[in-house]
Amino acid sequence: MPSSVELIQSLVNGVGIGLVYGLIAIGFCVIYNASGIVNFAQGVFVMLGGMFAYSFLVQIKLPLAVAAAISIALVAAIGVLVQILVIRPMWQRKAPMFAIILATLAVQLLIEQIIILTFGDQPRTYPEFTGGGPLKIGDIAIDYQLFWILSCGALMVGLLTLFFNKTRIGRALRACSQNREAAALLGIPVGGMLMLSFALSAALGAVAGILITPTQYTSYSVGGPFGVNGFIAAIIGGFGSAPAALAGGILLGVVQSAAIVLFGAGYKNVIALTVLLIVLLFFPRGLFGGLAKRA
Amino acid sequence: MAGSEPMPALIEVDGLSASYGRVAALKPMHLRVEDGEFVTVLGPNGAGKTTLLRAISRLIASRGRIRFKGRDITALPTHHLAKLGIVMVQEGRGLFGEMTVYENLLLGAYGLGHDGEKIERRFEQVFQLFPKLRERASQVAASMSGGEQQMLAVGRALMAEPKLLMLDEPSLGLAPKVAEGILDTLGELNRKGLGILLVEQKAPLALKLARRVYVLSSGSVRAELPAHEIKSHYDLARFYFH
Repeated sequence: MPSSVELIQSLVNGVGIGLVYGLIAIGFCVIYNASGIVNFAQGVFVMLGGMFAYSFLVQIKLPLAVAAAISIALVAAIGVLVQILVIRPMWQRKAPMFAIILATLAVQLLIEQIIILTFGDQPRTYPEFTGGGPLKIGDIAIDYQLFWILSCGALMVGLLTLFFNKTRIGRALRACSQNREAAALLGIPVGGMLMLSFALSAALGAVAGILITPTQYTSYSVGGPFGVNGFIAAIIGGFGSAPAALAGGILLGVVQSAAIVLFGAGYKNVIALTVLLIVLLFFPRGLFGGLAKRA
Repeated sequence: MAGSEPMPALIEVDGLSASYGRVAALKPMHLRVEDGEFVTVLGPNGAGKTTLLRAISRLIASRGRIRFKGRDITALPTHHLAKLGIVMVQEGRGLFGEMTVYENLLLGAYGLGHDGEKIERRFEQVFQLFPKLRERASQVAASMSGGEQQMLAVGRALMAEPKLLMLDEPSLGLAPKVAEGILDTLGELNRKGLGILLVEQKAPLALKLARRVYVLSSGSVRAELPAHEIKSHYDLARFYFH
């Protein structure tokens, strides 16, 4: 039986990884709400964020802020390219939704292959943003990187909430999610909004990737697991608002971490999927589905 | 002689047709609404009325020409029309149900850009027409009654500063008194110069205000005549008034 220190430590770690899942989940929600598309290439944006940040920080030796900004911008641009080259043509030809979703999965595999050819298949990482950790509270150790993840996660959710509720473009994106025809009739360029949602969601994925890489590693293959966990977090949260998606992510992260301590690492995903099934059985619209509709 | 050229119609459709798969929902038709005119399109279910408005709004692919004030707008995408002044209130109202009344109205003014003063003026005008919307400004649209939702749908369309307002069965699902109130407001707007193209099944309500009427059946225009003549038309009278 694990000690209470081990349990608390696992909760702290779970919050950290959960916030990252939450950011990925928000990315899923942004695109889904604007278009009804579940973008399974979401995880690949996380991987690209980490890969680009590694290149700019370690190889080109740019300052952290500059490296992060360029990486986020590049991944957002890749998100826009995916929308223009893959999603838009299918959308305009009225392809069935399942075909579009399958195409996003193909995009993920394609980008992974491109990364193997250009960056290689070796895992990469870079130092935590603030050295000298971890912070010790009794027997509990908290990496400084967790504070970065916490503060950046909170900042992202705050900015997104403001964006969706207080800005003209943000309201227009929400309008598109509720009634695309009515939005177009009012002069809102629905196609442009879809492109923006891909840029935004790719940027969020990149932020998640840049934040999490120092605590683990990044490689061509991390996108898949991050994507799946982000998707589960989005479903638990109710596929609606940013705070709900973040809460779904934290819950998933904490449950996974507790499962590792209680049952061993092999049971991490078994427990995560069991939690998902339980949530879906009792709350088919997600834990915050009702709230999310109004957020 | 210069100046003798007829004024171009507010909107004119020429040979407009549309189909769903192999089914022709709208056969090539001609229709015009003059500046400041109130035109009603009548017809039974499946006559092509909604398809006509959706084709004009570019929500569905169509053939033929559409001109707005003489300008060919056939190739324009839907979201360009609101900026020109063509706004449609959809059947079922098309509200953003999870957003507040205020947010719905604000989105109606999307095409006005960042002109805060202009948007404020539009808010005042809409609130004067529908005082209830001011009271309910912070209420979520989906939680309002059918009549209030219809007021919001019309109010939101007016926020866009339309020159032509197209409405698809605004009386649908409303109590007769509420529907009459909405149509009275449309009449008031028309008297101030707003062009209106109204699609309706309830002829008595719609004819009260219209100057001209198109009667659609099976996707074709069966008759085009002044509204005051329609009651004397035996077939139409039998169809609509008995």
